[in-house]
Amino acid sequence: MASTRDITRRIKSVKNTKKVTKAMELVSAAKMRKAVEAVLKTRSYANLSWLTVMNLAKIAQKDNSLHELLNQRREVKKVGIILITSNRGLCGGFNSNIINKAVNDPTLTPPLVRGGEKPEVEFVILGKKGAVAHRRFGFNLAAEFAKPDVVTQVAEVLPVAKMIIKDYLAGKYDKIMLAYTDFISAIKQTPRVKQLLPIDLSEADERLGTVGKGDNINEVKEIIAQKQEKYFAGQEYIFEPNPKEVLNEMIPRLLEIQMFQALLESNASEHSARMVAMRSASDAADDMVDDLTLYYNKARQANITREIAEVVGGAAALRS
Amino acid sequence: MSTIHFEIVTPEKTVLKEEVLQLTVPTKMGEITVLPHHFPLVASLQAGVIEIKLLDGKVETVALSGGFIEVLPNKVVILADTAERAADIDEARAEEARKRAEKLMAEKREDVDFSAVQAKIAKELARVKAVRRHRSRPGAKIEF
Repeated sequence: MASTRDITRRIKSVKNTKKVTKAMELVSAAKMRKAVEAVLKTRSYANLSWLTVMNLAKIAQKDNSLHELLNQRREVKKVGIILITSNRGLCGGFNSNIINKAVNDPTLTPPLVRGGEKPEVEFVILGKKGAVAHRRFGFNLAAEFAKPDVVTQVAEVLPVAKMIIKDYLAGKYDKIMLAYTDFISAIKQTPRVKQLLPIDLSEADERLGTVGKGDNINEVKEIIAQKQEKYFAGQEYIFEPNPKEVLNEMIPRLLEIQMFQALLESNASEHSARMVAMRSASDAADDMVDDLTLYYNKARQANITREIAEVVGGAAALRS
Repeated sequence: MSTIHFEIVTPEKTVLKEEVLQLTVPTKMGEITVLPHHFPLVASLQAGVIEIKLLDGKVETVALSGGFIEVLPNKVVILADTAERAADIDEARAEEARKRAEKLMAEKREDVDFSAVQAKIAKELARVKAVRRHRSRPGAKIEF
C-alpha cells in the first residue's frame, strides 16, 4: 500500500485540478448564456430567409435565367465543405463528432454520387481544430479562417461567404456543404451537414426551423409539413425593380445569414459541450478525492495498527 | 374581411408578428401598399418608414434601414436589416444620432467608410421620420 504521504499528495493534486475544471465550467456557463441568446435571436430570421431561398429556387427550376446561384448543377466533380469547429479543446466530443460527421458524409462516398465516381473534396475550415480533417484524414484544405470567439455581426462571416460564393460561381466547386453543430439544448448538440449550394430541393432540408422543437423525427416531419403548407408559393413572383437586381443583392445575403447562423449554433454548442465536459470532470475529481481519502484513512489506520502491534510485540518480548 | 399574416424579422429579433389589414413599405422603386390577396412579390427595400394598419384600425409605424419584402399568397414577410417600432424610438436621441452621422460625413476624413456612413444617415433619418409620423397622428400615444 502506498504511503500516506503519497496519498495526501495525490489528493492535493486532484483538488487543484478540480479547482481548474470548476473555474472553466463557470466561464463556459457564462459564455454559453451569451451564445445561446445570440442563437435564439437570429434563428427566426435565418429560418425565414432560408424558406425564401427555397421558394426562389423552386421557381428557378422552371426558369433558369433568374440567378445563377439558384440553378441546379448536374455533375458533381468537386465538393467544398465549410467545417466549423472550435479553437480550443477540452470540450468533450464536440470536435470529433462534427469532423467525423463531415468526413463520413454520405454525399462524399462513391455509390451515392452521380456517375459513381468519388468527387474531389476540399475543406474550408473555421476554427483551429478543423485541421484534423487534413492531418488525420488527408483531405485538402482550401483555406483556413480564424474563427472569432465572440460572434456578434454578420460581417464576421463575410470573408468566408464571399470566397465560397465566388469559387462556386467560377466553377471551382460544384457543391458546397456546411458542417456545423446544431444547438438543441445545453446537454444536447447534434452535428449536421447541410447542403448550401446548389440549393437542395430534393429532400427539402429536413430539419429546417425545427431545431429545439423536438428530437422525434415524426414530430419534426409534421412541423415541416405544416411549414410547407403554409409557406410554399409555387407560382411566379413579381420582382421589383427586376429579378436580377433584387436577387443579386438578396441571395448572397441570405447565404451569409445561413453561415452566420451556423457559426452561432456551433459557438453555443461548443460552450455547452465544454460546460458539460468540465462539469463531469469536476464530478470525477470529487469521486476521486473520496476514493483517495478512503485509501488514506485505511493506510493511516494500518500504520497505527502496525505500530501498536510492534509496541505490544516489543513489550511481550521484554516480559518473557 | 380578409387579413394578411405579417411578420417583420431582423437578425436580432422578431419585431412584429400579427394579422394586419394592409401595409405600406418603401421599396427601391418607391412606396407600395400591400393589401390582402396581393400577387406574390419579392422586392428590395430601402431605408424608410413602414406603416401597418392593424385589425383595430390603428396604424403602427416602424423605422426600417433596408432589407427585403416577400409577399406570398397568404403571408407577407419582411427580412429587415434593422427595424424598430416608432413607439420604441426616442426622438431626441434619434435626431442626435443623425446629426452625428452627418457631421462624420461632412468631415471628409479618409479613414471613414462613406457608404456605411451614408447608410447610417438614411437609417437615422428613417427613425426620426417614423417617430414624427407616429406622433402627428391623432390618438397615437407615446410613452416615455
